[in-house]
Amino acid sequence: MQLIRFIFYRILHLIPTLLFILIVVFVLVRLLPGDPASAILGDRALDADVERINRELGLDRSMAIQFLAFLKSVLTGNLGDSIHLKVPVMELIQKRLPVTIMLTIMASSIAVFVAVPLAFVAALWRGKAGDIAVRGVFQVGLSMPVFYLGLILLTVFGARLGWFPVGGYGDGFLDNLYHLFLPAVVLAFSLSAILMRNLRSAIIEVLDAEYVQFAKGKGIGPGMVLIRHVLRNALISTVALFGLSIGTLLSGAVITESVFAIPGAGRLMVESIYGRDYPVVQGMTISLAVLVSLTFLLTDLVQAWLDPRVG
Amino acid sequence: MKIFSAAALFVALIIGGLQSVTALERGGVMSYGRYTDSMFLDPVLNDANVDIWIMGNIYDTLIVPTDDGKGLKPGLATDWSVSPAGDVVTLKLREGVSFSDGSAMTASDVVWSFNRAKNPDNGIWYFLLASVDTVVATDSSTIQLNLKYSDPTILAALSVFNAAVMPQKLFEAMEGKTDAEKAQNFGKNPIGTGPFMLESWDRGSVMKLVKNPHYWGVGEDGQPLPYLDGVTFEVIPDDATRILKLQSGGLDGAEFIPFARVNELDADPEINMELYPGTRVNNVILNVRPELNGVENPLSDELVRQAMNYATNKQALIQVVTYGVGTPMSSFMASATPMHSGDSPLFPYDLEKAKSLLAESAYPDGFSSNILIIAGNQDGVAVATALQQMWGAIGIDLEIKQVDNASRTEQYRNGTFTMRTGGWTNDIADPSQISSYYAYSPTIDAVHSGWKSDEVDELFEASQQEMDLGKRAAQFARIQEIFNASGPTIPTYETPYPVALRDVVHGFHQIPLGNNVFREVWLDK
Amino acid sequence: MTGVVIPSVLRSLRGLPNSLVVGGTILLLSVFVGIFPSLFAPYDPNAFDYNELLSGPSLQHPMGTDNFGRDVLSRVTHAYKIDMQIAFFATVVPFIFGTTIGALVGYSGGIAEVLFGRVVDAVITFPFLVLVIAIVSVLGPGLVNMYIAVGVVGWVFYARIIAAEIKVQKRLDYADAGRAMGYTHIRIIFFHLLPNSITPALVYWMTDMALCILLGASLGYLGLGAQPPTAEWGVLIADGKNFMVTAWWISVFPGLAIVLTGLGFSLVGDGLAELLRSKR
Repeated sequence: MQLIRFIFYRILHLIPTLLFILIVVFVLVRLLPGDPASAILGDRALDADVERINRELGLDRSMAIQFLAFLKSVLTGNLGDSIHLKVPVMELIQKRLPVTIMLTIMASSIAVFVAVPLAFVAALWRGKAGDIAVRGVFQVGLSMPVFYLGLILLTVFGARLGWFPVGGYGDGFLDNLYHLFLPAVVLAFSLSAILMRNLRSAIIEVLDAEYVQFAKGKGIGPGMVLIRHVLRNALISTVALFGLSIGTLLSGAVITESVFAIPGAGRLMVESIYGRDYPVVQGMTISLAVLVSLTFLLTDLVQAWLDPRVG
Repeated sequence: MKIFSAAALFVALIIGGLQSVTALERGGVMSYGRYTDSMFLDPVLNDANVDIWIMGNIYDTLIVPTDDGKGLKPGLATDWSVSPAGDVVTLKLREGVSFSDGSAMTASDVVWSFNRAKNPDNGIWYFLLASVDTVVATDSSTIQLNLKYSDPTILAALSVFNAAVMPQKLFEAMEGKTDAEKAQNFGKNPIGTGPFMLESWDRGSVMKLVKNPHYWGVGEDGQPLPYLDGVTFEVIPDDATRILKLQSGGLDGAEFIPFARVNELDADPEINMELYPGTRVNNVILNVRPELNGVENPLSDELVRQAMNYATNKQALIQVVTYGVGTPMSSFMASATPMHSGDSPLFPYDLEKAKSLLAESAYPDGFSSNILIIAGNQDGVAVATALQQMWGAIGIDLEIKQVDNASRTEQYRNGTFTMRTGGWTNDIADPSQISSYYAYSPTIDAVHSGWKSDEVDELFEASQQEMDLGKRAAQFARIQEIFNASGPTIPTYETPYPVALRDVVHGFHQIPLGNNVFREVWLDK
Repeated sequence: MTGVVIPSVLRSLRGLPNSLVVGGTILLLSVFVGIFPSLFAPYDPNAFDYNELLSGPSLQHPMGTDNFGRDVLSRVTHAYKIDMQIAFFATVVPFIFGTTIGALVGYSGGIAEVLFGRVVDAVITFPFLVLVIAIVSVLGPGLVNMYIAVGVVGWVFYARIIAAEIKVQKRLDYADAGRAMGYTHIRIIFFHLLPNSITPALVYWMTDMALCILLGASLGYLGLGAQPPTAEWGVLIADGKNFMVTAWWISVFPGLAIVLTGLGFSLVGDGLAELLRSKR
């Protein structure tokens, strides 16, 4: 009941946020210099052609009118058609967004799987060899630009050893996962490094905190202390960070998608910005916004569950 | 006798060896790596090279460019003639041609396709057929074009992609009120007369073409073309990844190989690094208007431009930017362009001459300037960085600005840019297209530079209706002479199309106009 | 005089956590190289050498040369200046602004929290790299505009972390004690709650600095970061992308610089966390 109300209010709050984002992206993308016609025609563009094409697209109307027309179509579930690809935006989103979602889920899973245990290792053996080794490896991983790491993995594990395909997305669900593994590892590198550092720091704090000493004093075994108190409290800020990072991943995997030739949402978004394909940018942004908001809702719920004092 | 039989054995071995090397094999699917996806496969409404260069595999034109890009050969038309006055073109259609759905191609399809292509409301390529007044089918296999005036470029225009033949009935049966709407629906499952047809298209990822079972072309072995069962295009935007996939055997071919990797791939025994001659010229376009943003513009001074030209070490650029793959330019248009004139590299490097020219100009102490290049484009960065150094030696302080294509195009079209890297690839085997954009000012102010020469404008207008080849060549020679000496561009180098193919691939080529031809490709098994 | 100062400095250093000392030394040295790059760079970082194109590490060029014949060591050293600037300017404003807003909002709760939540959501759910690209496209390429773009979004991360922490802290006993003693809210927030909450933000700041240098690399790959001929580690690595196998030194050495500097930031972050913990 408390929970349902919480979720209900969060979804309610989503609406003005989405509207705000919609307005911002609508205006921002039209502020960018250039227009769809000349973006694609490039050096061949003749003024008469550009004006005619922009007129056909309705881009000579005032921004307010364009926005209202767009809003009207959105409310009927129609996100318009891509200017350059001439296919419905909804179709593009349905094709590309799931790919990015899968990639993000894989990357987060790998990151959590790796970061959580190693954070405990580093925190419990603070200052000793284990701690330094873990932090050292993660340091290198965190410092490598995504495209460089990606190319190295592709060269070694894709081209030389042949264990993984060299880019692309494949056919069929399992084949897709197979193709997404290396790019997920690349994304997981920096994500797990951030999570590990934050979690390690939080664990150390909690371990030192008085109420843990108190619990130890009461005779509760170290294992129980760890699980019951440490984990719960240490995870709070890390979960917050995790949620933020997923949001970044969902839309920031552009370069990874480029290097690994993954047909994801990030690449579509950037290509559409460069091509001034307004409907695609608008539709994509809203879809991503909805997705990211739902992710935050989820992480907030997890946070609230971890610490009953919050929310 | 022994010698005789030894010789016979020797010859038999050689023939046997040759057979296994060059024996045509049918079947297989060729995978080709592209740097970006096509957008819209309609011959008339498309906008960009990414569509143009592969559409010739789905659609046919009446006339087809020869492999060297300079001549014409039969396509869907087997024969043609132009009236002496140059205002009527008659073409004989090939018999027995079907579309990929099996329906017969008729003369009315051709008439309808041409009317659609020359309609100024449809797309941006209508100007290529601007001289056409009416198109008529005089009988079931003859087409007659009645021109408004004599047009020396009309035959070449018929070999350009927008003059492709499309199935009238199928197109008009599509849902939609406007041509654009029908084209959108037709584009989901395009039907043409070309060697291949579209099987599936995962946008931004994979496009699959399969052989057209009704294709009219015939191969060396007397059987129908194409030899391949299909072509699969894979979109791999990152150059390094594309090359990696080719090297590991995941691709049969890859386009747009960065020049830095050409030598490396050439040395690979399993790869043929092809450099197909192109019509691509590269240059720097200068805004030569007297004032820019309210300030006097040094680039409007012809002496300054000449100084910059002499200070540009083209050989060095060819070395550090194209790794020796490029060639110097002898005119503003590519040497593969018909009626190109000029036999020595323009403005060979001469630093002393550059300095003395600048000293004579209105800006002897140099000046600051900036250049717009496409963000992330490694060749552009390389050229601009090199020019920064070269022009710095004569006192010109160059700032490099990387912007995205749309932003640069806007400044370009408004004529507010200072300098930009530029280039051109011909869409038609005729000098008129590049000249209309670069030299003839009414089109776009001479690549939006503000340059103008009355003599060039007059010569160009005359050349557009001049049927005598010799006179026309002389007109273009003079246009090139004027533009090359005083024009608003700094020529850098010509480049070929760098395509890397696995050695199992035979029969592929990219023509100078850019079209990728898969029609006669076959794979070793 | 120096005989007294140095030992006393060293003595107080001994009290500090090891990671802070090691990390701090790395960073100080980095800043020093950034201020005086010519001391460490044997050549002009922009000078072409057509005779030494793509040559490997040697006595004349310890880190080799790039595709223009420019000395990589000189370019990597000069890049220290740019990259340390990036690390600082791209993060300091978001850190200060974000922490302040987060503390105020986390403490106030209520309407402030709701409004803040909306703003945060709107900012974060907007695709980050895409926003950066858009802003840089509108404002033009270059590092200053990159700072603006990063700042517009970056502050939110700090704010969210701090707000979550403050919310927990404000319900603890010592916060109640502060209120009972009549301290003003501002004083409670910034002098009592914040020091206890700031650790995750500080740790993140150090990570953020390293991340911003990497963002410079991503933007360099896209062409929107530092403009040529400016040497910046990320751009240097991107430039070497085509030569990964044939001229590995072009990308590897700037990469090592990033690793080393990133290590410095990490160690300082961990050290600071330890220090603040022990002070409490």
